[in-house]
Amino acid sequence: MSEGELPRREATVLKGHEGAVLAARFNGDGNYCLSCGKDRTIRLWNPHRGTHIKTYKSHGREVRDVHVTPDNSKLISCGGDRQIFLWDVTTGKVIRKFRGHDSEVNAVKFNEYSSVVVSAGYDQSLRAWDCRSHSPEPIQIVDTFSDSVMSVCLTKTEMIGGSVDGTVRTFDIRIGREICDDLGQPVNCISLSNDGNCILASCLDSTLRLLDRSTGELLQEYKGHTCKSYKLDCCLTNSDAHVVGGSEDGYIYFWDLVDASVLSRFRAHAAVVTSVSYHPKDSCMITASVDSTIRVWRT
Amino acid sequence: MDMDEEDFVFYGTPIEREEELTSRKKKAVAEASGHLRTLAPWKQEVRDEEGRRRFHGAFTGGYSAGYYNTVGSKEGWTPQSFTSSRKNRAEVKQQSILNFLDDDEKDELEGRTLATSSQFDTFGFTAAELARKQAEKEQQQSVLAPRYGIRNPQIALELWPSVIPGPVPDELVVPATESIDARREARKAFLAFSSNDAKSSVADTEPDEDPKSNLHHLVNNDVKSSRSTPVYVLNPKQDLYGLGYDPYKHAPEFREKKKSRLSGKPEPGNRKALSFKESLFGFKSGKAAPGFGIGALEEYDVEDEDVYDTAYDFEDAQVQDDEEPSGPSVVDHKKRLQWKDPGVLPGFRVATKADYQTERFDPPVIPKDFVPRHTFVTPLDVEKKHAIPPPPEVPPPEDNNLKLLIEGVASLVARCGKLFEDLSREKNQSNPLFSFLNGGNGHDYYARKLWDEQQKRTDQKKLALDGKSSTTVDKMTAESRGKILGERPLDRSSRDSRSSAGSADATLQFNLSDTFTKSESFSELPEVAKPFKDDPAKQERFERFLKEKYQGGLRSTDSGGASNMSEAARARERLDFEAAAEAIEKGKSKENKPFSLQLLELSASGGMQFTSGGIEQGKTAPTEDLVMKEPYPKRQEFQWRPSPILCKRFDLIDPYMGKPPPPPRIRSKMDSLIFTSDSIKPTKLEETVVPRRIQQSSALEVSEDVADREIDVEVPIENVERPVDLYKAIFSDDSDDEIEETSIKKVEDQEKTVEVAHTTLNRLMAGDFLESLGKELGIEVPPDLPYSVNNAKPSGPLKETAISSASNVNILPVEGNSFSSSDVQCVTSSKQGVAYQQEIIKGDAVKPIKGNAPSGSGKYNELPTSENKSTEAFMEKTAQGNMKAKSPPTRVQERSSDSLSEDERRRKRSRRRRYSSSDSHSDSSSDGRDRYNSRSEGRKGSSRDKRSSKRHSKHRKHGSRDSPGRSSRHSSKRGHSEAKRERRKWRD
Repeated sequence: MSEGELPRREATVLKGHEGAVLAARFNGDGNYCLSCGKDRTIRLWNPHRGTHIKTYKSHGREVRDVHVTPDNSKLISCGGDRQIFLWDVTTGKVIRKFRGHDSEVNAVKFNEYSSVVVSAGYDQSLRAWDCRSHSPEPIQIVDTFSDSVMSVCLTKTEMIGGSVDGTVRTFDIRIGREICDDLGQPVNCISLSNDGNCILASCLDSTLRLLDRSTGELLQEYKGHTCKSYKLDCCLTNSDAHVVGGSEDGYIYFWDLVDASVLSRFRAHAAVVTSVSYHPKDSCMITASVDSTIRVWRT
Repeated sequence: MDMDEEDFVFYGTPIEREEELTSRKKKAVAEASGHLRTLAPWKQEVRDEEGRRRFHGAFTGGYSAGYYNTVGSKEGWTPQSFTSSRKNRAEVKQQSILNFLDDDEKDELEGRTLATSSQFDTFGFTAAELARKQAEKEQQQSVLAPRYGIRNPQIALELWPSVIPGPVPDELVVPATESIDARREARKAFLAFSSNDAKSSVADTEPDEDPKSNLHHLVNNDVKSSRSTPVYVLNPKQDLYGLGYDPYKHAPEFREKKKSRLSGKPEPGNRKALSFKESLFGFKSGKAAPGFGIGALEEYDVEDEDVYDTAYDFEDAQVQDDEEPSGPSVVDHKKRLQWKDPGVLPGFRVATKADYQTERFDPPVIPKDFVPRHTFVTPLDVEKKHAIPPPPEVPPPEDNNLKLLIEGVASLVARCGKLFEDLSREKNQSNPLFSFLNGGNGHDYYARKLWDEQQKRTDQKKLALDGKSSTTVDKMTAESRGKILGERPLDRSSRDSRSSAGSADATLQFNLSDTFTKSESFSELPEVAKPFKDDPAKQERFERFLKEKYQGGLRSTDSGGASNMSEAARARERLDFEAAAEAIEKGKSKENKPFSLQLLELSASGGMQFTSGGIEQGKTAPTEDLVMKEPYPKRQEFQWRPSPILCKRFDLIDPYMGKPPPPPRIRSKMDSLIFTSDSIKPTKLEETVVPRRIQQSSALEVSEDVADREIDVEVPIENVERPVDLYKAIFSDDSDDEIEETSIKKVEDQEKTVEVAHTTLNRLMAGDFLESLGKELGIEVPPDLPYSVNNAKPSGPLKETAISSASNVNILPVEGNSFSSSDVQCVTSSKQGVAYQQEIIKGDAVKPIKGNAPSGSGKYNELPTSENKSTEAFMEKTAQGNMKAKSPPTRVQERSSDSLSEDERRRKRSRRRRYSSSDSHSDSSSDGRDRYNSRSEGRKGSSRDKRSSKRHSKHRKHGSRDSPGRSSRHSSKRGHSEAKRERRKWRD
């Protein structure tokens, strides 16, 4: 993919959030996207038409992360009110609330079957919640982290958490092992490559690090952007050819995966780019920012 | 029901069944019947027909709203009676709002009604006079106005000078003592003004009145109207709220804001100044997250601060927009719309014509003959060309082969240097074909060709060099520089000695390259560099480690090599190795210090430090850096136990299925000590009780088991203080198993016990080894292994206790349902044991009597009785044969087809067992103890099998002779313990 194919053209601006947008995520097929922000709402958009579809309100404080099931039927969201809400997408009602985190919840994800929700909290724990039973208790608490867990990723058999203590811990359920990769720098956000072999970890020393999951080797470092104090998302493009990340100065950076050169950088927002999400198939990207907008980018 | 009832004839009314009435209803009924009515009203509870108390809400009265849930009052709520007679006319009662207000509401209203208070009358007696004056004036005006034919009161006002311009508060706010006439006149004037406002004053009277004066009049009129109409009209109602509703009642800040916006639409900067943020909540940063407040019951804290600090002023006016869509805010809207335009500062409009224009300088004009590449006046290689004068051009020799050969050699020599020429000349001295090298045929051509080639090569190099040096000057290496200067590089052989030369540059390079490959330097370690001579296994591992470290390539997962080593031990060892390797390296580079000494130093200083000696500090700086950088990312692995339900939800098989829950992470030894207290007590009690019973029961038996077990009995009593985890390892296993037991029917397989015993031994030995190893290294063996718990304890007693307690567990069922404990498995299995016993009795007692044995099981039971005197060998065979056949009658359900051969299955199991770590310890140990003879006999499954069957048959013989009951009991015990073993095994 050459530079020309990178989604650099602003196609749509999604406006509606009142205040910082903290996360924007495509849904499973990339037809819709979800955003959440400091205005305590979760919003569902059609990024391709630029339309706002629905607003979900119930959180008592800012909503920090949102994720949708593969069948688009349910949402999970978490936020500063220490709660995790399971929503019905169509009715917009909260189906369940998971309480138990002692502090703010930073990230949340469904597993593959949407049966378990794993949340990462400021209370240094990962918690797994059962969506099928009605037990209010988490079915698993992982508290081996020594600082706030910022981000969580799930595979079919593993839970991966990135923490401010500088570790990326992989919990393999299948073999019952915890693999701890210490990066030495606070990890802000982790994201899996599409082939599942690598983890991209955004560290607070303004560096994205690419780790080989099987060996724990550091494959590449991506620098150039600013990421020193905020939780900024990063991700790989759907072809795993490039690395995308936001910057605190409102820029978006594209790196080449292999040689880590900055292929492109452009100003996308007026303020901190909190979140980037790449379309699962097309060359399309959404970015969210503190300036309360979500922008859709295309080639 | 109806259909049923049709068949019967009923007389009378059925008595309502008492039970059908809920207690609530009963109460309600009782109340209704007046039972409670006698109570004082404040004691009565108001209930609905279902007997429920009605809850009105926590803040709206709780259970009693209004007057005991009525609209009444203490006085009751009786309609007024109306009486009116001719003499005594009923007055028409004026209802006022005060009639309907509570006292507190009245209080609330108190401050809001417009009334003059006596307090206000500062003039005291002059007030009356003032009022009179005022009245006079009024009169005057009302006379004047019509006289001049002025319908517009503005004129009248102008004629009435005193009130208008300055604030004359005293006169303005005196108590209104106007005559009705005056009031009426004022009213008229006001109406006229308002109509004037609507149409225009032009249509009215004065056509010459210019708008300016009109404005003036308007202002005047304002004052006038303020005088003649109630004061509140000063704030004309412009919103859509209900009358009297003040949305800003408790939030005056907003009122300020709104007012400032309404009046004159000030610059938006004002809004910020009046922003509620500052006035309401004082932040250190003075900034809350934009756009929203927090809940009523929450307080602002750090989290609500605007961490993003964007100074992004969100339009907080938007909310208020909805409140007043009318009138004056139209302009406002427009303005705000402008603000919303991206890129435009709020309140500012982009100028259509910019005053200031950035000065632009045109790029300099490039002369037409400019060449954008610098050419040197004299080419760089000029000297070189001059240094070697080109040989004369010679025509190639006729022989085409020779020509090719010469050309080939020339190019080779040009590429490889003079050395090659010399070499080939030496080699091919006798070869006539190469005579051109020695000045023979075609030498001229060769010389020319060689020169050509060399020229070509230097050109190429120069080109490459040009490219390089043009990008960065630094890239110029010594070699290239030498080449440029025409220096002859040193021979290759001398390069190897570079590292020993010891220049700073060289060492750096040396160290750098070392991290990648250092095969030669470490492939064969000198004898002195064997730090772990005393432990050959460790030394081997160390060597492997070195190899892996310096040769690169793929690393085997268990780099520690020893699979039986714990994670921590391995890590520890690795650290040791690392330190040792570095020490060796240092020793090599320094060469002046014997390695062993260094190592000693190293180990003395803790054996873990990477920079041990102080001497080498300066030199090893680069290596240190490498060491410091290297750890990231570093990888560690731990045991982690996913909860079973998590595995289920992820659709995975629980890797720890059937294994005891992990012991709590041992933070310190103190923790584990503390935990040992209360949870043990029940089990301890049982234990002490149970063995005694066993003693009693086993006293009856003449078998050698007795003595053995009695020894066991002593042990647990002695070892009272044991860490709780061991108990868990033993007991919770069972309880876990019990659950599964019910769900899955297990196949009984006797021979497996052998395997179990076998593995037990191994495990115990391995455990000892591990533990001692751990002790040696001074670290804890990780908690996933059961041995870790007993770190502090000597291994001997541990084994014993484990075994003894386990054996106790196995023995317990003999007693039947004698005790209940936390150990569910034991209880249930004891029940089973009873059942089994009964069956055995049946088999033993009944069948032999019948003497008829059509089934295999019968045969088994018969055989020992009928052929008492037969040989051992025969007995063994039959018994063995019957082993399989025996179980169907006793354990029909659990028995399944033995399609796998015993050996096969055993192998499988053992393999599985190896994977399972901790739980197997407990049961296997129990097996081992229980089957003491199996252990003594060795690990041969078959022999063990025979033996057990032999024993079995022996007992049977015994039983048939003396008392069948006892033998059956014995067998039942055996059977039970076997069954138990089976269950355990299957769980693994």
